[in-house]
Amino acid sequence: MTPLRVALLLVALCGVAAWQVTVIPESLMQMTVGPTLAPGVIVAALSLFAVLYGISAWRGRQTDESEAPDQSPLPGANARVLSLLGGGLAFIALVIPLGFVIPGTLCGMGVARAFDAPLGLKSALICAAIASTFWFVFAQLLGVGLGPALPWLI
Amino acid sequence: MEAFDALMGGFAVALQPTTLMWGFVGCFVGTLVGVLPGIGPALTIALLLPLTYHVPATSMFVMFAGIYYGAAYGGSTTSILLNTPGESAAVVTALEGNKMARRGRAGQALATAAIGSFVAGTIGTLALTFVAPWVVEAALAFGPAEYFSLMVLSVVAVSAVLGNSMLRGLVALGLGLLLGMVGVDLQTGQPRFTFGRPELLDGIEVTVAAVGLFAVGEALYLAWQGRESKGGEVMKLSGSLWMSKSDWARSWKAWFRGAFFGFPIGAMPAGGAELPTLLSYYTEKKLSKHPEEFGHGAIEGVAGPEAANNAAAAGVLMPLLTLGIPTSATAAIMLSAFEGYGIQTGPQLFSQQGSLVWTLIASLYIGNVILLVLNLPLVSLWVKLLKIPPPWLYAGIIVISTAGVYGAGNSVFNVGLLFVFGLLGYIMRRFDFPAAPLIVGLILAPLGEQSMRQALTISQGDWSTFFTRPLSGSLMAIATLLLIVPPLWKQWRSRSQR
Repeated sequence: MTPLRVALLLVALCGVAAWQVTVIPESLMQMTVGPTLAPGVIVAALSLFAVLYGISAWRGRQTDESEAPDQSPLPGANARVLSLLGGGLAFIALVIPLGFVIPGTLCGMGVARAFDAPLGLKSALICAAIASTFWFVFAQLLGVGLGPALPWLI
Repeated sequence: MEAFDALMGGFAVALQPTTLMWGFVGCFVGTLVGVLPGIGPALTIALLLPLTYHVPATSMFVMFAGIYYGAAYGGSTTSILLNTPGESAAVVTALEGNKMARRGRAGQALATAAIGSFVAGTIGTLALTFVAPWVVEAALAFGPAEYFSLMVLSVVAVSAVLGNSMLRGLVALGLGLLLGMVGVDLQTGQPRFTFGRPELLDGIEVTVAAVGLFAVGEALYLAWQGRESKGGEVMKLSGSLWMSKSDWARSWKAWFRGAFFGFPIGAMPAGGAELPTLLSYYTEKKLSKHPEEFGHGAIEGVAGPEAANNAAAAGVLMPLLTLGIPTSATAAIMLSAFEGYGIQTGPQLFSQQGSLVWTLIASLYIGNVILLVLNLPLVSLWVKLLKIPPPWLYAGIIVISTAGVYGAGNSVFNVGLLFVFGLLGYIMRRFDFPAAPLIVGLILAPLGEQSMRQALTISQGDWSTFFTRPLSGSLMAIATLLLIVPPLWKQWRSRSQR
């Protein structure tokens, strides 16, 4: 990823947004400002900023922290990021069939792995304690609907 | 006098045991999140938004105010003992505070920060108490055109003036405004940017965006770097917490000067807390009888900026409570909380929800006292928190974030969106895009569109109404100047340096 690629991403996003503006149905109500004006203006402005950012990036004037000496990533950056995202994916996939605590534990283990904690029993136990505590505080004490804690309670 | 009576009424409610308990919880949680890296007041309040369905509005806002003030207090501990400012406003505190800690004066640095925060927080709250009713009176003259122009000024100021690059600030703002347009247009009922997904018809929830950007985004960034688990050096809590006579003599003027920088600048649309802390630091350096100590642990360099930071926190509440305009990410989330309760912010807030507002302001005074009592005796507890290993700290932050978002509506779609915002936050952090304009834009986009529509309906479609009405025109002129002057100034300076 480089600033130029970020600019390309932004331009692509503006393209999709512009297409979405064209598919907003016109209102049948008589009004001074319809539903497309504000989105249209915003997409136009964002497109302009994206292009300016792209030009600036092309000239090498935009920053990327990975190039800063004390900010650059240590080896294994992609694996760490994927591990964290993998934890999130596990939660999304499993929270409905398995309740909160097991997916929460897996999510926590993915995050802990991203911060160099080995995947093992210690990590599983600590993350299970974290997920159980949050489930208890949120669902039992504060009444927030997190669903059942464990699959056999579904 | 009217404000004083109303404030006394506020104290009567705020001192009730239940309200006091929420205030205490808020101060405790606020200090906790201020101390812990990777979690700030905006994120914490966003995570607690699901509770708005279960807790009365007054209790909730008293707690939020405690979190907000507490985080400003707690940030100094991390700066002084770990040299890792939790937020940009605490950077200056780290400059001298950590040096003091290295010289064995951590206790005195923490003490001057805490007492200065108390003094400045109280001055800021006093100013809020007596200035806010004037602002409300003036704001009653605002029509939709003025409101729209004020929102334009606010978003331009937050995007263009704060941060390292105006262009990146504007890109972040554009993204926020675009995301704010997602959902059904309330006036016409037409879906916009929903891609046919029913989950997007209600728009993007601020909680999801804020938690994704601040919690998941930060964790992804730190995981990508891989340096967090190597850990920073937590300084020992050395030195007495009691300040000597000389420490008091060198601190008290700095506290007052810091407060007088912090409140007015914090109350401005683009003020923030960074500018007053910097101003305070350089003023103290200039006025100090011991300028040679600056850079090696000068106590004034901790006292002044910490005071400015806390007074600015009170200042930020002014435009939020009186005009309904958020000028920081935390204020934007609090505005969202008001919306969650169906409470309309702006000048009407004082007349329609007077009891709530004055209880909130009274709780700020009480919160300041609680924080002073809480901060110093519990400092060894806060130090222990700094020693939580990063894997478990971030696992906790992400699991609580996921729980908060999932619990708000039992929506797996929103949890997916949380991680998408996390990726966006990672990209923004890596390429130095500020997050505050995105959050402010997300919240103000629908409100701005509504004001624009009302103004144009009144003017029968005449767009010049935004420029010909004196107040609206002035606000637009200031917004334009904010966009034009900084780049011209930068260009002029670079030319004159050649």
